[in-house]
Amino acid sequence: MNYYKQVLTVALWEYRRFFKIKNELLGIVIMLIVFSLSYFGGKYATSKTSEKQQLTVLKDFNPQLIEILSNAFEVETIPNDEMDEYLSRIATQKQGILLLQDGDGFVIHSWKKPKRFKDLQENLKVYCQKEAMAKINLSAQDLENVMRPANLKEVYLYETSTRGRSVLAFFFAGLMIMAVFLSFAYQFTAITGEKQLKITEQIISAIKPQAWMDGKIIGITLTGLSSMLTYSIIGTLGGMLFFQFTGASVSDILNYLYLPSILLFFAFTLMGVMLWNAFLAAIASMITDPNNSGKSGVMLLPLVFVFSSFLVMRDPDDGVSVFLSWFPLTSATAMPMRWVATELAWWELAGSFVLLAATFYLLRKLAAKIFHVSVLISGKEPTWREVIKLARES
Amino acid sequence: MTSTTILQVSSLSKTFKNVQAVQNISFSLQQGDIFAFLGPNGAGKTTTLRILLDIIKADSGTIKWDFDSNESAFPPSSQIGYLPEERGLYTDQPIIRSLVYLASIRGMEPSKARKSAFEWLERLDLADRAKEKLQALSKGNQQKIQFVASILHKPAFAILDEPFSGLDPLNQEKFIEYIRELNEQGTTILLSSHQMSLVEKIAHRVFLINQGKELFNGSLMDIYKSFGQQHILDISFASEVPHEKFRLLPNVENLSPVGTQQVMVTFNPGTELKEILGNLSMMEGITNIKSHNSSLHDIFLNMVKAHQQ
Repeated sequence: MNYYKQVLTVALWEYRRFFKIKNELLGIVIMLIVFSLSYFGGKYATSKTSEKQQLTVLKDFNPQLIEILSNAFEVETIPNDEMDEYLSRIATQKQGILLLQDGDGFVIHSWKKPKRFKDLQENLKVYCQKEAMAKINLSAQDLENVMRPANLKEVYLYETSTRGRSVLAFFFAGLMIMAVFLSFAYQFTAITGEKQLKITEQIISAIKPQAWMDGKIIGITLTGLSSMLTYSIIGTLGGMLFFQFTGASVSDILNYLYLPSILLFFAFTLMGVMLWNAFLAAIASMITDPNNSGKSGVMLLPLVFVFSSFLVMRDPDDGVSVFLSWFPLTSATAMPMRWVATELAWWELAGSFVLLAATFYLLRKLAAKIFHVSVLISGKEPTWREVIKLARES
Repeated sequence: MTSTTILQVSSLSKTFKNVQAVQNISFSLQQGDIFAFLGPNGAGKTTTLRILLDIIKADSGTIKWDFDSNESAFPPSSQIGYLPEERGLYTDQPIIRSLVYLASIRGMEPSKARKSAFEWLERLDLADRAKEKLQALSKGNQQKIQFVASILHKPAFAILDEPFSGLDPLNQEKFIEYIRELNEQGTTILLSSHQMSLVEKIAHRVFLINQGKELFNGSLMDIYKSFGQQHILDISFASEVPHEKFRLLPNVENLSPVGTQQVMVTFNPGTELKEILGNLSMMEGITNIKSHNSSLHDIFLNMVKAHQQ
């Protein structure tokens, strides 16, 4: 049985083992339920707070201010001699807000800070501004002229990318994070779990460690990609529904689906997921017992790198961004993001991709070597020094 | 019909740090053999098997596999079946899927593997549980599935490392039947085991290894001829065994207490039974004497003890 057939057999086994369409659909249903609950729950919470809160003032309170406050509050007036009684009621019943004028300022009495405190501040500010304008005889038009921004004409040599491409870049980066997240769990089950189940010796007597490792990397990458595809379809359908509700045309949706971008992002994402799978496989190969291994924490490294590549959007042309877009552990998301945010030469894209692919090639070899040495030969977890030695050899 | 050499091992050695696991051992297997690899724990049996399977490399020596006149240093996976000492299968997967997968990675067509797996499961009375997960089976049944997984692809050569370990006597007998049947269908068998009484029933040839060194290599007949001609007596006493008196007896090679009132005595080769009985008649308190020839178990114990001294 040749190498490719063995790799395919292992890859399909891993894929069928982990990718379960039933579970995938269940995940989407749960996601939709959570989304619906958050959306409608949020709406419900907001609708409750949109009700006007009651605000109490004394009979001699400024009528103009009462008129302004009525926009946001249900204003109630009480006789001046009932003030003390009202204040003691706030203490016993733990409700009620009393607003008093104190010279040029105001005093608020309440059991705790009111929910609509910001609205109150805003309305008091409007009142104070009107008072101040009246004092200096300033009209509303004059105030608008004072506040108007300077007239600035913009001329740039590089036109920034369309919004659609940026959305796509973030979409693919998000999918890659999801795929790496999934791989994190699967690699532990596929490699460390298999070692704990003592299956590896039987497998390795049939196929070479490299074929076994490549099969696992490809199988788990396929699992991640399948999840990505499922969520992409759901995302696109969700987007279409969103546009339907917002009344946008289908051409708006097509603006987001720019084929060259999709191909570029997909190539980088695919290679990125493969690279991280090889990395995770190498770490999982070192670990015999995840509960007692000091190396388990290293499995979280991919997330740090994936998130760090979002730094590119801050300034795509600074040194950090250029480094991240070439460094193989971050380039899968950083280079596509730079591509949408700034001008890049074709050789930068090609060079970064080749470096990414070469790193994947070496990492998968390292993973197979670590697995072979640590499990079958010495039967113990290799030290970091041994791993570095193996890395040099591979 | 002339049998062909399917495996030729010459001067094999392997050292792990300061431990010489295998020291210059040589043996060969003919097509159709049931070859037993015997030795105490840590003797070097599993290391040798792993070297044969190319899982680990030998420091020196040569291995020559010959399947259908195609010689190679590495065993073709489709021709080899392997039951490792450390057992394990995918407990969270349906039995039939695991079996088909393990046969597939050894080159068997999935459809054929499925058919063959169902045939085996029928034999083991487990066909109706084919789609269940392995973890639902008893330990004994899991052992059976493990065995099937190692030979499902109908290998020309099967390596079975401790095939009887963890089995009850009834299942041990069943496994002997399976191995015998497999051999009759043309599979050459190399097995490693501690259970000498079981090995005796099926092995054609034995290789005894201790501390990485060869102690014996030959047929069962040869080992009995060379080492099994000694008289072994199980002697029971009414009270405690008088060990000091046995030490004074002539021609005693080995003395193994069996409880406080019984002892197994091995006499030097060539010692006459008449002479032995004459000497024993001088002892008081003997209630029973049972004589038997050396079993493989006895020979194994004696040889290992002699080698360690």
